[in-house]
Amino acid sequence: MPDRIYCDQAATSYPKPGTVAEAVFRAVIASSGSAGRSAHRMSLDASRTVFRAREAVASLLGAPDSSRIAFTLNATMALNIALAGWLRPGDHVLATSLEHNSVARPLTALKERLGVEVEIVQADGEGRLDPADFRSRLRKTTRLAVVNHVSNVIGSVSPVRDIRDALEGVPLLVDAAQSAGGIPLAPVNEIADMVAFTGHKGLFGPTGTGGLWVRPGVELAPLVRGGTGSRSEQDRQPDFMPDALEAGTQNTHGLAGLAAGVEFLLEKGVENVLRHERRLTGLFMEGLSAVAGVRMYGPADPERRGALVSVNLDGWSPSDLARELDRHYGIMTRAGLHCAPWAHRTIGTFPAGTVRFSFGWFNTEDEVGRVLAALAELSRSSG
Amino acid sequence: MEGFTTIFVLSSIHHVLSGEKILKAAGAAFDLIPVPKEVNPDCGMAIEAMPGSEVAVLDALTEAGLVIEAVYRREGRRFERLSPETGG
Repeated sequence: MPDRIYCDQAATSYPKPGTVAEAVFRAVIASSGSAGRSAHRMSLDASRTVFRAREAVASLLGAPDSSRIAFTLNATMALNIALAGWLRPGDHVLATSLEHNSVARPLTALKERLGVEVEIVQADGEGRLDPADFRSRLRKTTRLAVVNHVSNVIGSVSPVRDIRDALEGVPLLVDAAQSAGGIPLAPVNEIADMVAFTGHKGLFGPTGTGGLWVRPGVELAPLVRGGTGSRSEQDRQPDFMPDALEAGTQNTHGLAGLAAGVEFLLEKGVENVLRHERRLTGLFMEGLSAVAGVRMYGPADPERRGALVSVNLDGWSPSDLARELDRHYGIMTRAGLHCAPWAHRTIGTFPAGTVRFSFGWFNTEDEVGRVLAALAELSRSSG
Repeated sequence: MEGFTTIFVLSSIHHVLSGEKILKAAGAAFDLIPVPKEVNPDCGMAIEAMPGSEVAVLDALTEAGLVIEAVYRREGRRFERLSPETGG
């Protein structure tokens, strides 16, 4: 069996820092009380674990008030909370042609069930979005814009700050599933009104962690209601953050790992992670340009990308290429539509999709070289 | 414990732990306690200022912008609501 080379960081990061596994283990063994519910020492330990995670994420986002971060299972849940909690019947919402199904599907449901009007702002074939296209589409009923910060298919980085400026006060929801940890988001209140993030990608946390930052002044109707450990005598959900959006027992064990992951990231520095990942991405793209039959998608300049590159190779279907890379070279990638058919339509790769190579802090230049050598070899054969 | 202590009730465990962080940094004498049932039917925690430190605790929490839902004076098992006088 060949050595493993993990190039699927955009799906979930691997490996995690050792401190993440240790933190989860410690939480399971020694801190298994229910956070915010009881008043004994184990419950208090668990509450402190959740608080530590919230403070760590707030530091990463440059958010002065960590209570504005509600934890969720993932970015999808955060996006659903934001969309369902903000949009009302008859509202007009702008979304880009780069959105993941985590936005496309809830928006479609809101359109069908509530009559929300969804208008798509088209990106070009390299994933570029023009802020002027948002301004020209504003209506009196426009109540939200949703933008994928880094396309999980194309890798393009959206100009969220400029888009927000173009929105003339209409709130902006940023899907930071691919960008959090790899692209600086701080100070978050300068780039967005709401930010949805996942914990298990660039933040190095376990799966089952994520969250939604909500700017003070933006009040969302809860998607899920239930126990919070606060205002227990009342039948109505508390209206203050984070309890308003956090009904039910939290994933304390996962959040222990998320805290450790974000602390690792803060210690390394997001700028350093960005530099390392862009270097690997640049090397990969440079090498790919010398491989016969390769088609690369997205921005030609690595500085305009997150650390992922979608590729097709002549003579190979995406699924066959990914399988061959895994089986014979130990190279793990993701093939297909990446849960983002809108983005694949944007670059003309629907319905077959692409093979996506994505890199992270723990990938090395040597690994990139071995991936390129494998692709060069495969380009001389066919699937 | 001699004399009285002062109990500060905040809206949630997150705000109590924010208060703990602030009060530790300020060097105030306090403890985290289960919310006494005489004060509130909630299942959470409250901040109890030790005798003589109630003003320092109040100042630190207020300066940090934390919303204090209620303040009680406690002597043994007797609780006197200081603020707000009604409601809350």
